Amino acid sequence: MNDHPFNRPTALGLALCASLTLGVAASNADDGIAKGDTSGKTIAFSNSYAGNSFRQVMIKSFESMAAQAVKDKLIAGSAVVSSNNSVTEQAAQIQNLILQGYSAIIVLAGSDTALNGAIKDACNAGIVVVAFASGVTEKCAYVVDYNLDSYAKAELDFVASKLGEKPLNILEIRGIAGDGFERRLHEGVEKMLKQHPAYKPVGQVYGQWTATVAQKEVAGILPSLPSIDAVLTQGGDGYGAAQAFKAAGRKLPIIIMGNREDELALWKQERDANGYETFSLGATPSVSQVAFWVAQQILAGKTVPKFVEVPLLQIYQPDLDAWLKTVPKGGVVNAEYPQDLVAKIIDANVDKQPLPSVSAPK
Amino acid sequence: MTRRLVLAPWTYSFIVALAMWIATTAYSGIGSAGSTLAAALAFGAFSVVIGTGQMLVIAAGSGNIDLSVPSVLTLAAYVSMAVMTGHDGMLVPGLVVALLVGAAAGALNFLAILLLRLPPIIATLAWSFVFQSFAFNLGGEATLKPPALLSAFTVWAPGGIEIMPLCVMGLTAAAVFVLRSTLWGRSLLASGQSEPAARLAGVRVWRVRLIAYAGCGTLAALTGFLLAGFSGGAALNMGDAYLLESIAVVVLGGTSVAGGRANAVGIWGAALFFNLMATMLNTFRIEAGIRLMLTGALIILIIAIVPKPRAA
Repeated sequence: MNDHPFNRPTALGLALCASLTLGVAASNADDGIAKGDTSGKTIAFSNSYAGNSFRQVMIKSFESMAAQAVKDKLIAGSAVVSSNNSVTEQAAQIQNLILQGYSAIIVLAGSDTALNGAIKDACNAGIVVVAFASGVTEKCAYVVDYNLDSYAKAELDFVASKLGEKPLNILEIRGIAGDGFERRLHEGVEKMLKQHPAYKPVGQVYGQWTATVAQKEVAGILPSLPSIDAVLTQGGDGYGAAQAFKAAGRKLPIIIMGNREDELALWKQERDANGYETFSLGATPSVSQVAFWVAQQILAGKTVPKFVEVPLLQIYQPDLDAWLKTVPKGGVVNAEYPQDLVAKIIDANVDKQPLPSVSAPK
Repeated sequence: MTRRLVLAPWTYSFIVALAMWIATTAYSGIGSAGSTLAAALAFGAFSVVIGTGQMLVIAAGSGNIDLSVPSVLTLAAYVSMAVMTGHDGMLVPGLVVALLVGAAAGALNFLAILLLRLPPIIATLAWSFVFQSFAFNLGGEATLKPPALLSAFTVWAPGGIEIMPLCVMGLTAAAVFVLRSTLWGRSLLASGQSEPAARLAGVRVWRVRLIAYAGCGTLAALTGFLLAGFSGGAALNMGDAYLLESIAVVVLGGTSVAGGRANAVGIWGAALFFNLMATMLNTFRIEAGIRLMLTGALIILIIAIVPKPRAA
């Protein structure tokens, strides 16, 4: 499978389109990994900022995966460059990477639009550009990102699976007022709540993704609320919310956790004490590995849609202990995205199937 | 001159806090009155401890202010949690280390002001970055857990009486006593009113202020120690909310920003006001944008209705 007809729209290609598409989808389903020879290719990562621990883990995840790929003769080499949140610097770095002749450039953009010129130049030079975790608007780039509606959907689906479609009181903990990411998550909650008409949002606080703030805000509003059945969160706030419920002497409702170590530890403690059940989900820094394999797979000739949705890392009750063992004390759950998993993610995006979930560590 | 009832400035925030408590209770039913107040007292206690420290510095006059309190709080929480490593037996050493860190931080703040002649606002801001870096290097992103005994103490409420806020009330009483009846307290207020006059009267102004800054750092550290116990651990951003709040509770509580006049009791009113206001606005389900506007309007309103002291 070298060039998909959509990429080379010759007359013959167009004529064969309909029949071939079916064939390609079928071969994807068998073994999604494109085997085209990429051993001579190089992949660079242009990162906008490296100054917090999330980004540090993100870079390390990328480097370790790329080093393994070099060892496995899947690529010839890789590089990581970081600019200090300066888009002009990042644009210059991308121009340098073009001159150095990289086959693919992965971009974590400091701006949705300011890098469009540099990205366009890279595409024109025949370089595969994969942007991730940022809303780059240049059409020639492939985008790898989460769908924030599915965050709220997963939360409410879990609540529905546990408590059913009966009248429930829902408390929503939001992030930092005015933040774009926060707003998109909240819009997802509003949209998804429409599919559960029996659920009643009885309260809303801004927890600022911080345990102490969430605790304070929830403790403040709790006395005025009826009994709460479920708490929707945005990550980093589940532990504080649980502390507030405990301090108020209330029974813990379903508090959706955000893959933090303290949240999982609390979940385990409550499960062991009284069979508490909940669910945890979140983004992972290692999404950089998804972008890496997407680039490699494009180079290997795989059909990849312009937008690749990445599954959120979801933790269910039976896998709690396995995940908890892998989380650094006080850290966030991270996972490896190997080549075959990313190929499956791409296929699910192509076929509009449910995304594969990241399997629990052994 | 017309005679009218003039209340002390610090009573106004208590009155507004009471009004908010009544409004919240009216909205969500009489059953919630007790628990609403309990939550406000528990969280208010932290604001009071850190605010009392800030008050000492602000009362020292001539632009003295401590902007490093959030990072001192965070650093002390990290250091003490690291010392205790979750062991109940290490509680006292942990507390002592926290307080020492705070006192040292406060002293460093003042030395930068005194020796380098930096304005307090710059010196303390600069140190706050240093302290925050220490905390970052010490714990990174990790949340360090407190010993169970400390957590239990911060939420201990035998018979519904919360012990920690009671202890903080004791601290307030001590602060009132110190300001009113000790040589250092009187010297602090004298330095705040007029530095040259205080100097002529034989007050060693620099020593008085050094103690004020060290005291402020110590109380910020105590807040960090207790808050880490209360909220389940030391986290890098735990102090963020307390920068503006520590100053706001002091000013609303009736302490003069220009220095020389301090009110420790008023801090309680202001702290309760802030917490009950957040509860009320959450309860009424008011949108974030409007919430901030109302918060600002209420603060201005309180300051506006407080009678101004007549110029002598």
